Amino acid sequence: MPEKKALLAGRVVSNREIVQGHLVMTIRLPRAFGEPLPGQFVMLRPKERGALLLGRPFSVYDFQPGRRSVTLGILYRVAGEGTRALSLRRRGDDVEILGPLGRPFDVSRHSGNIVLVAGGIGIAPIRFLLEHLRKNHAEARSRISLYAGAKTASALIGLEALEPFCKDVHVCTDDCSMGHHGLVTEPLEKNLGSFPADDTTVYACGPVGMIRELAGLLRDHPVPCQVSLEERMACGVGACLGCAVAVRGPDGGRQYRRVCREGPVFDIREILWDEGTGEA
Amino acid sequence: MMTDPVLKKMDVAIGTLKLKNPVMTASGTFGYGEEYAPYVDLNRLGAVVVKGLSLEPRAGNPPPRIMETPCGMLNAVGLQNIGVKAFIREKLPFFRDYDVAVIANIFGESVEEYGSVAALLSRADGVHALEVNISCPNVKRGGVAFGTNPDMAAEVTRTVKASTDLPVIVKLTPNVTDIAGIAASVEAAGADALSLINTLTGMSVDIERRVPHLRNVTGGLSGPAIRPIALRMVWQVVRRVSIPVIGLGGIMTARDALEFLIVGARAVQVGTAQFVNPRACMDVLAGIETYLERHRIGDIHDVIGALKIEGEP
Repeated sequence: MPEKKALLAGRVVSNREIVQGHLVMTIRLPRAFGEPLPGQFVMLRPKERGALLLGRPFSVYDFQPGRRSVTLGILYRVAGEGTRALSLRRRGDDVEILGPLGRPFDVSRHSGNIVLVAGGIGIAPIRFLLEHLRKNHAEARSRISLYAGAKTASALIGLEALEPFCKDVHVCTDDCSMGHHGLVTEPLEKNLGSFPADDTTVYACGPVGMIRELAGLLRDHPVPCQVSLEERMACGVGACLGCAVAVRGPDGGRQYRRVCREGPVFDIREILWDEGTGEA
Repeated sequence: MMTDPVLKKMDVAIGTLKLKNPVMTASGTFGYGEEYAPYVDLNRLGAVVVKGLSLEPRAGNPPPRIMETPCGMLNAVGLQNIGVKAFIREKLPFFRDYDVAVIANIFGESVEEYGSVAALLSRADGVHALEVNISCPNVKRGGVAFGTNPDMAAEVTRTVKASTDLPVIVKLTPNVTDIAGIAASVEAAGADALSLINTLTGMSVDIERRVPHLRNVTGGLSGPAIRPIALRMVWQVVRRVSIPVIGLGGIMTARDALEFLIVGARAVQVGTAQFVNPRACMDVLAGIETYLERHRIGDIHDVIGALKIEGEP
């Protein structure tokens, strides 16, 4: 009988607020965690759980292997009670982690032109992806461009760490505090025509509005685009069917896929948008 | 510390269905078994109850489908499933490599559909019992009407019994005034066993946006929040019927499972706890064994129904 996987005990190394309501938690874990791939996520919760039961899903933001233990970083925004509880953890507190989970970004096909699109907290998996590309594809010297958007300049987290590895960086803020005023898809739309369709891959993560805009843009441009989605989740392993995303089935009809299992990374063209609500 | 399995008798019978131990997984919380196979040695379980099956595939409800609430969660998955035929073809063969009882949970939108699903599963190789969901509160045209009316609950039971030779477990809804009355009616219609409770219908609102947290508005509440209610209902039903009762509802630990066994449940199902800890059912099983050891009890049957109430014989 092969060794069974289990919920792992982790210890908070640091839990730092970067800007208002946005934190980076660094967690030390046993090596049994393995090595996460960009786009994968973990289910994380405090060990002392009180009235809260379920873990919350977070994309891997940073990962450092080590000889005796490994270190995982997650970037998160306080959005509800689960993330609020996590934000109160201090150095030395115990957490429980399941992972790495889900289907990662597919980086097997080399592209000369890599376009990263991140909205808000969606920068988390994009940052980890960029690091992976930089380490593993250095010799290939792809042209990497980054389109990053946020509500305000201070919420453009980790931008300075990413910039050196990108040929060009396009920044957008909702409040004009930095870069272009407006949606991150606007500068992208301008440049889209110049991307070689057979040698470009777009990787994206961000709020549903951004993903929808991006899907609309790419309708007329045959550029492959992988997008990491977010949905409420209970189990993270495909059993609860809570994290459903609507896709076009083989017969053209509406079907649901599990963000935790078939995703969180999807081909943006698979997603079926609800005409009424604009939601996936 | 490993406990010696020879010392304790853990096996129980649900009608003609023999189980290694009284711990099973609850339908809808364990997928089709394979989702948790990396975490759980399925061979050690009393039984696996798979996700509810209907005659045709069902897409399920649009998201958001779940919401965490204090000590529990609401779900409105909408009985999404691949359909009974695809289950038999694609999912059931997975269990051939395991020595575990497989209980197929079934539901239908009509009495005839219940019968058809039961008949198909009876002909399949590798299904050991049926659990009939007459209680899922999520689907407007679904089981809700059957499970809340004693006569309709009995009619479904009779139809399923007539369509299969497998042991039939009827899963009861708590969203009724008199659950023991429904239980008695289902027993009289020929059910081999009962399982209870299914989820309690609930609701939660996002006060900032003033919208329901679930797209379906209401959903089924599960988790420890419902455990005292589930326990009370199991206790009431056990006193009313003579067929075996399987207890479930918010069992997170062995302590919780033992409560159900002590009030008279022959077996238990672990559900929402799996979402918190994928090995929850293994921990429950190990904890029950430790309890038997600590109390020097050699047979789980000495715990089942061992509740002492002052003034009662």
